[in-house]
Amino acid sequence: MSAKIKAAAVPMGLIETPFYPRLAALSRAKSWIGWAGYISPLVLDTVEFEYFAIRNQATLFDISPMHKYRITGPDALAVVNRLITRDIRKVRDGRVGYAMWCDEDGMLIDDGTVFRFSQTDFRLCCQEPMYGWLMDVAWGFDVVVEDESDSIAALSLQGPTSYSVLKDAGLDVAEMKPFDWREVEPDLWISRTGFTGDLGYEIWVPRDHALAIWDRLWAAGADWGLRAIGGQALNMVRIEAGYIAAGVDFQPVHAVMRLHRGRTPMELGFDRMVAFDKGHFNGRRALLAQQDAGQRFALVKIDIGGFKPADGALIYHRKRTEVGHVTSGIWSPTAKRNIALAELKAPFGISVTTDLWADVYVHEEGVWRHKMVAVVIETKPFFANTRARATPPRAF
Amino acid sequence: MSKPSDLTYDAVVIGAGHNGLAAATTLARQGKSVCVIESRDGIGGMARNAAIAPGVVAPKMAHLLYNLNPKTLKELGITAPKSVSLPTVSLADDGRHVVIQGDLVIYADGSAHPEAATFAALHKRLTKFAALLGQMSLKTPPSLAGGLMDMATLQELAGLAKLGIGLKRMGKKDMREFLRILLSNAYDLILDDFADAPLAGMLAADAVRGAYAGPRSPGTVFSMMYRLGNGGDVRLPMGGMGAVADAFANAAKLAGCDIRTGCGVAQVIVENDTARGVILADGSVINARSVLSSIGAFQTMQMAGVQHYDTEAVRRLRNLRNKGTVAKVNLVLSGAPDFVGLDAKLTAGRLLIATSATYVERAFNPVKYGDMSNAPVIEAVIPSLSDPSLCSDGQHILSANVQYVPYALAGGWTPAARQKLLKLTLDRLEVYAPGLGRLVTHSEVLTPLDIETQTGAPGGHWHHAEMGIDQILTLRPVNGMARYGFGIAGYYLCGASAHPGGDVMGTAGRNAARQLLKDGVLA
Repeated sequence: MSAKIKAAAVPMGLIETPFYPRLAALSRAKSWIGWAGYISPLVLDTVEFEYFAIRNQATLFDISPMHKYRITGPDALAVVNRLITRDIRKVRDGRVGYAMWCDEDGMLIDDGTVFRFSQTDFRLCCQEPMYGWLMDVAWGFDVVVEDESDSIAALSLQGPTSYSVLKDAGLDVAEMKPFDWREVEPDLWISRTGFTGDLGYEIWVPRDHALAIWDRLWAAGADWGLRAIGGQALNMVRIEAGYIAAGVDFQPVHAVMRLHRGRTPMELGFDRMVAFDKGHFNGRRALLAQQDAGQRFALVKIDIGGFKPADGALIYHRKRTEVGHVTSGIWSPTAKRNIALAELKAPFGISVTTDLWADVYVHEEGVWRHKMVAVVIETKPFFANTRARATPPRAF
Repeated sequence: MSKPSDLTYDAVVIGAGHNGLAAATTLARQGKSVCVIESRDGIGGMARNAAIAPGVVAPKMAHLLYNLNPKTLKELGITAPKSVSLPTVSLADDGRHVVIQGDLVIYADGSAHPEAATFAALHKRLTKFAALLGQMSLKTPPSLAGGLMDMATLQELAGLAKLGIGLKRMGKKDMREFLRILLSNAYDLILDDFADAPLAGMLAADAVRGAYAGPRSPGTVFSMMYRLGNGGDVRLPMGGMGAVADAFANAAKLAGCDIRTGCGVAQVIVENDTARGVILADGSVINARSVLSSIGAFQTMQMAGVQHYDTEAVRRLRNLRNKGTVAKVNLVLSGAPDFVGLDAKLTAGRLLIATSATYVERAFNPVKYGDMSNAPVIEAVIPSLSDPSLCSDGQHILSANVQYVPYALAGGWTPAARQKLLKLTLDRLEVYAPGLGRLVTHSEVLTPLDIETQTGAPGGHWHHAEMGIDQILTLRPVNGMARYGFGIAGYYLCGASAHPGGDVMGTAGRNAARQLLKDGVLA
């Protein structure tokens, strides 16, 4: 090939996030992964240190690779309500709402958070690229959709001392309740949100303010055990909190090629996220039909006996009939239990909830063993602590 | 006769074209109260007569009947006006015009055509295939949504199974041939057997009549068969196409429908995801338990509001292919024209200017770039020769479909552009009827844009949506909306963009109304 491709014209490989210089300096593990085209740490030090820092101290995780879209204009509220399954009218200005959105068959495209500035101004934050879809959803409505993924840098500050870190950094968030959302300083927005089920905040700044806010928090965090973490520790705590992950616990329907890989919000246990009474939204008719016909699957939280992580294990009824599988499973160091999220085929997990077993495979230095282990379906998150919701938050 | 507006009709039908009227009649004959709303002053949509000059009545747009289904007519209680079967004359530059009537082909001078037997064989084959496909046209396209374990789906599949059995019954040779040619292009099929001359030109032109396609476009063998749906007979109704529309309207009135003209629907009322009636342009409200729309599919969506539709449906409807390519030129003549080599009977026939399949393909090329054909394909008919009641004082009306003419002409449809189109048409006709131009006392040019403006047909397209292989059967008008129900409960599409598509036949309207009843909307 004679065509000369200039490196400058076509960036090759992963892109550095705005916080990369700080993360690179802290990385002992040199364990990086690609996340939405950005270079992102899986582990910076060790996963154990990082996990316990989330649950006992405070941690910084770079969430800049999340896709962020701004939806503004007179019809912004109508477009957001057309997109998502819950009723955004019930989320007030200055609040954040967890949201799911579906295709015409009611199958989940992605989940994420909607930040409401006002009824004419929203930010959607999610895992999957969504610009083309948003443009289609917005067709015929008076709104502007802007992709802010690259222009907004974001940090997730999580853990019992996270409030104290912010306080010592001179950022007053004492009155902020969970899912509140404030411009604490000019161009510095903080939301009391996170993916850990614990006390925590997310900090949103223009890209070129990124290193300044990192340094400010880092300095303030010295006395509060602040550590930077990678995605592996975060994955453990989100399972403890019972949060689902795109591409893991459900397959974003636009990204799958095979038929019937999509799942509805009800099948993922999120009936409460679907507001059938708010007027039409994408997939409403299909979801109503499923409400009549019954869901095909149920995503459930399970406790698996023993202590061997059961990620991927098949689930059996009466130890004989295969009825599902574990989508995310870990040994929870905080709960001291072997926990997982599992997808079961209806009616299992719905009307049939007992006599379920996980076939857990264990690899011990070249030898595989497997064992049927009793499964108990749980309704509450495996991790819950009142400090997560206390307002004003306690020091730790 | 009309009911007070506080009453609730069983159904409101938007548009009093033949499909709207067929839908209304179907419902009314089942004892339902129906109101048809037409925004224009007259009924009939594209099948209308117009007095375009003193003592001259012209078929405003559509001028011939192709696929009028006797079963539909009988069901609706329509007494169709008398009509005559017209021979087709494919004009030749060398004067050896070819006459086609049914499966017979001769030269205009009475001599035998060397390809007569070949034509008869092809005609027979295609008519047989067309009949096979035709049995799908009176049914709602099948749905496989329930999966193969579902009883309702299996019943749906019975229709397809019948097609399959019919296919098998034809025998291996015909079945193979059917499957071989179904998705292919008319040009190749025709030139496999015929010299590229006026007979081939006629076949090619009929394969792409009204379409945004040339004979080399894929799927044109299908549209060729579609033309032959009821045997391919071309009929001229006495009293003009307006008489056909009147017959539809009379049947509707007889069945008890109210027909209101002169004030269109501004908006469909939707409450709780259910159609509840319409708001007219003058602000008055008509309550109804269901609403059927015979306007274009995209326009039907907009009438209810885009917010009621899933994003995927909106995307598909936005991208519906519906660019019209046919202009209508109506010429008032001071006397009967003289086509060289044609006797009076043939002059009264369907006159085609499509001298070869290549000519038709070449005519298609400019429209892709926003230009009109310099050598257009013309289908002309002089209805006043067969039906003298249309014109007085020895005048005649020449009605011409001129193809290909773009919907969006580069540079816009200025008076000069219209004049150019008229001149192109006259110049082509003059080749075969010298002196015709001098007979013209009045003319009317309707571009696809005009047809859209005057009838609401999107893109000025005859069929509201191209009859391409990607927009027929279960994909008509778009995937997921082929069963007439149009998203909102009680809202139905009953126009030409619904299955089985266009032509003045009313089948789409009839099918939609039957599906509405079957769905239990009015139960």
